[in-house]
Amino acid sequence: MEYVPGIPILKPSLDADNRPFWEAVRRHEFVLQKCGSCDRYFQPPRPMCPECRSMDTMEWVPSAGRGQVYSFVNFTTDRMAYPAMKIPYSVVLVELEEGVRMISNMLDLEPDDVQIGMPVEVAFDDLDEDLTLFKFKKLEG
Amino acid sequence: MPQGIRDRAAVAGVGCTPFGERWDDNAPNLLADACFEAFDDAGIQPGDVDAIWVGSLYPFTGLSGGIAVDALKLFGKPATHVENFCASGLDAFRNACYAVAAGICDVALACGVEKILDQGSAGLPTDILGAHPVMGSVSAPAVFALAATRAMEAWGWTREDLAAVAVKNHDNGSDHPKAHFRRQVSVDQVLGAPCIAYPLGRLDACGVSDGAAAVVVTRPEIARDLAHKDDFCWVKSVQLSVHTGWPVYKSDFDYLGFPATRQAARQAYEEAGLTDHRDQIGLAEVHDCFTITELLNIGDLDLCDQADAAAFVREGLANVDGETPVNASGGLKSFGHPIGATGCRMIYEVTRQLQERADGRQVKDASFGLAHNLGGQGSAVAVAILGANDTGPTV
Repeated sequence: MEYVPGIPILKPSLDADNRPFWEAVRRHEFVLQKCGSCDRYFQPPRPMCPECRSMDTMEWVPSAGRGQVYSFVNFTTDRMAYPAMKIPYSVVLVELEEGVRMISNMLDLEPDDVQIGMPVEVAFDDLDEDLTLFKFKKLEG
Repeated sequence: MPQGIRDRAAVAGVGCTPFGERWDDNAPNLLADACFEAFDDAGIQPGDVDAIWVGSLYPFTGLSGGIAVDALKLFGKPATHVENFCASGLDAFRNACYAVAAGICDVALACGVEKILDQGSAGLPTDILGAHPVMGSVSAPAVFALAATRAMEAWGWTREDLAAVAVKNHDNGSDHPKAHFRRQVSVDQVLGAPCIAYPLGRLDACGVSDGAAAVVVTRPEIARDLAHKDDFCWVKSVQLSVHTGWPVYKSDFDYLGFPATRQAARQAYEEAGLTDHRDQIGLAEVHDCFTITELLNIGDLDLCDQADAAAFVREGLANVDGETPVNASGGLKSFGHPIGATGCRMIYEVTRQLQERADGRQVKDASFGLAHNLGGQGSAVAVAILGANDTGPTV
């Protein structure tokens, strides 16, 4: 997927909960939030475990960023798509091995080739000096 | 065990404006047109209304019950603005039914209005969503496209199966004088329309419309003295279920239907005392914001088994002369979808069908009719069941 030059890309809105995630992405590291009390993973980031309700037990742990496509949408018509992105592109809902789901785009794959259940791995896309986004790549083999 | 609402409220009158591009009217005019039609239908005066619930979504807040009080010049009446995503209209009806069943109001008005086209967007305005392309909200077409790709994978449904819903609903709506898009479409036209979010094309999406609808709710013993004394409809059940607004991050959400619909429907069948709802429901107005949504709704409402919904429509069982007519009005797809008005428009249609005075295509021999209004990403769902006059308790 490619971006259209000259159209600003909306940047992640950082807050106290998600800042560690985006700072890790900037370093090309993928981290997930996990509750140290009940060992469950969560997404999106939050200050309290929604399962066991522990406070101050949420920690950031490294993840391989591997999983599979749970569902997807392809954008093939301009005017219907996000203007900063060249059509066609895919939006994928990925279920990671840790059990949490993330939304992003596929890198280096035609939308017609995206399939539910396809194994994928996280990849990092440096867009400018202060913006890196995480994407997914098809995992071969 | 709560007593439930069955037979404790009645629909005494209904009104609905034509839906569509209403550049010549503002929201108060549309609302007044729908409400005065409902007052005339019920045979009451505006001042007979004890309380008002008005559904409207945009611009989300800063509206208050004043939108109805100002439009109807009913200053001083208790009026409440209801907002529950696209289910705002049927939730307004639910509140009105509760007030009547509780004995607090003799006559309650449920109404809804949306004036959306002059906000200048294609599709729904999304300014409040603050969508980020990667970590943000999901647009309405995109979230239902996520469901469509899942259903196609799980059950082998095809884009042709989705198109069959559009063909049926446009065919029904082509005969309804108040529908927005009064024309038939073919499978080829649906498949050939521009793709807005694969696998959903423009003709898989419902209309974005202006319009208003209104329902006069009263106690059955009062309805017996009003204009429809011999054919008012009984409120058999009205249920609301609200689940997460962010299913996209919920790891046990399978997108093969919506839990809020299943829960609201299960409770509505129980409250209505329907023991064999597949046989007893004589028509259903369901929330077909996208073609895929209607198929998922049919399964979630248990009108057939979940995986069989595509065949149910394809084989004509959801047609006006089928086993369970679904969206005889044309549905959101063809009739249009002025967000806050849609739930009340469904009650308008179901009531007139049960009274055998449908404006468009009349279904045959229906005793019970169901309205299903879904909001957000399947997040807020209201289900109401009405009974024809002869389904009520004999006195």
